[in-house]
Amino acid sequence: MTSEKSPLTEGYQPVTWNFKLLAHDMLGGFGGMGEGMSVQIAPDGRRIIWLAHESAPKNFTAVDVSDPRKPKVVCQTDLPHANMRSNSLETCGNLMAVAYQTSKKDLQPAGFELFDISKPENPKSIGFFDCSGPHSRGVHQLWFCDGEYVHCASGSRDFVPTNPGDDQFYRCVDVRNPSKPVEVGRWWMPGTRQGDNVMPPTRHPIDKGFRAHNTNVYPQRPDRCYLAYIDGGMFVLDISDKANPKKISHWTNSPPYTGFMHTIVPLFDRGLMLVTDESTENNAKDWPKLIWVLDARDETNLVSIATCPLPDHRIYAAAGRFGAHNIHENVPLPTAWQNDQIVLGTFFNGGLRAYDISNPYQPKEVGIFMPPAPPGAPTGTIQMNDVFVDERAIVYTVDRHVGGLYILEMDF
Amino acid sequence: MLDLFPSREASPFGRRLKRERGARIPVTVVTGFLGAGKTTLIRRFLKSPEGQGTAVIVNEFGAVGIDDALVRDSAEETVLLGNGCLCCITRTDLQAALRRLIFDRERGTVPPFARILIETSGLADPAPILQTFSTDRALGGEFHIDVVLALVDAINGGTSLDDAAEARKQVILADRLIISKTDLATPAAVERLTQRLQELNPRATIDIAVAGALDPSRLIQPVPRERSNFVAEAEHGDGIASFVLQPDGPIAWPTFSRAMETLIAMRGPDLLRVKGLLDVAGCRGPVVVQYVQHLAHPPVELDTWPDENRGSRVVFITRNLRERQVRNLFAAVQALTEE
Repeated sequence: MTSEKSPLTEGYQPVTWNFKLLAHDMLGGFGGMGEGMSVQIAPDGRRIIWLAHESAPKNFTAVDVSDPRKPKVVCQTDLPHANMRSNSLETCGNLMAVAYQTSKKDLQPAGFELFDISKPENPKSIGFFDCSGPHSRGVHQLWFCDGEYVHCASGSRDFVPTNPGDDQFYRCVDVRNPSKPVEVGRWWMPGTRQGDNVMPPTRHPIDKGFRAHNTNVYPQRPDRCYLAYIDGGMFVLDISDKANPKKISHWTNSPPYTGFMHTIVPLFDRGLMLVTDESTENNAKDWPKLIWVLDARDETNLVSIATCPLPDHRIYAAAGRFGAHNIHENVPLPTAWQNDQIVLGTFFNGGLRAYDISNPYQPKEVGIFMPPAPPGAPTGTIQMNDVFVDERAIVYTVDRHVGGLYILEMDF
Repeated sequence: MLDLFPSREASPFGRRLKRERGARIPVTVVTGFLGAGKTTLIRRFLKSPEGQGTAVIVNEFGAVGIDDALVRDSAEETVLLGNGCLCCITRTDLQAALRRLIFDRERGTVPPFARILIETSGLADPAPILQTFSTDRALGGEFHIDVVLALVDAINGGTSLDDAAEARKQVILADRLIISKTDLATPAAVERLTQRLQELNPRATIDIAVAGALDPSRLIQPVPRERSNFVAEAEHGDGIASFVLQPDGPIAWPTFSRAMETLIAMRGPDLLRVKGLLDVAGCRGPVVVQYVQHLAHPPVELDTWPDENRGSRVVFITRNLRERQVRNLFAAVQALTEE
């Protein structure tokens, strides 16, 4: 056998395997996208995907994807200032919640804003929940699928963390009257708030904070919150009494892994749970960052049974981040694909990858989409950040820096 | 695994697939007698957009690897199996080469190829090659034969078919037949050869390549599964016959699988290739079944039927085994399992 070329020596090479690219939209030159993606069917019948931006100056962008081959930007809004970001959003019918996080503490606006998006070209603000404070950066991530409650990773004026990096915790906010959101419950990892009667957690060598990230709640178990807690691992919370969430179980992989647990997706019918890490260090310094498959038949005793395999990290060590981040979350909306046999995840310069978990002990890679580096990509690679699949099984994935929106068909 | 972790979306045969190969790497096997024009055809294919990302495995029969030298510059990766005929001597080499390609692809030391093309020696019997992909569990999980293609040249093809059982078998087992060098033959000779090929393999599509020029998609597009206008039992000489079973209505999986188990146990070596779609009771899509001699590929259920015909259709290519015998066996098993 001969091998004249080697990606190990040649760096990043685009690959498309079992995906078909339908369209690519750089979103008017503002293609640095965050981790909020949600599909609305507008009152006039158009299918609109709402996208959060990674950083200022843009707030959110709406794209008409009725014809996935011809996406059309219908709305793009600006943030009030550059020291904030709106990294996360969700829609439910014609309501949209957008998370606001400031770059420093005690800045505003920090919290989340509610919009009436019945006219996608002209989203109208109808409510705001203030989370600002001397120790708060506001809301990093939110979950909003039932039209009634926003579950979010947020700071608060009255929350003084034991470590400045532990400022965001789980909060549940009643938005049934969108103009007057009211907090109904909260939970934080014991030891992360001043005054707790337990010791603060031991910091990790790569210290990313013991704070909340994703706060998923599903109608199959409305009494459960699946809470990722970055360096604290993950928690299953009993929220049957929203005012008093209680810990049911805790699972962590770090140490020896390098923390930053990001998302929990329960697969209810199968008694499985998907857990993702986020890679946050360039040049694969925090490798391996993985998607973990947990046997969750007993929610009080979660057992890791597999991880989704990744290629040799040395291939990707040259530039940018490499490793797991977001996955399609089976968001409980009629516009979201529901599937418990395929996992789609974004891996920064590892692109978008799909895994068949029909045998959950042996996840098998079935698709790769690593497009060429978009023009102006600061790392010289794609940095795939988030993925959403609509009920038509059309895949939307976004680049973190400049590439904007890629629309794909699964071909496996 | 479904017992422990059940899924409402899963078929009894695992994840429902959009297409037969699922996510496996597609393989094209190019057969054809010596001098039929395989290398020319492959070189042109590799230069076409459709040929991008193809890894080629060349089997040479003889001391000088001329064919390998011709394709190496075009292919993403070329593997030369230089020590004999692919079918009988170097099958282990083929397995090793395929394993190595997968390994290197995962390690990133070869580019991420999207397809494998195997050019066989002119003398190769394709049956053992097909068997390789079902015998070897790991290979069967990674690769899927999309197309078996046989080249027959318009000048010497007739003689090869007369003289060599391997040439006849190549034609009989192919999904797609390509007649080459038609520019050098008379229209009447081409017509005679076409007729002969249709008699030998009535299921295969027949294309004409002029000076190696052929729509490149013909090397990669799977042939539509067991076309419904299939002709009745055909005798090909050498005791080889082909026929199609088309059971009426949904068939219970235990009936089909037990009939096949019995057939394999008693006449496995004579089942050269069995392939088709089954309407299995309780399944919403067709179930793809495939056997090569005594080996069964794992059945898979597809999302949807490929055409309006929802009926089962399974093609048998057999040696010294008649349609009537197989039908009787299926009827007997059905009678017993219905009790």
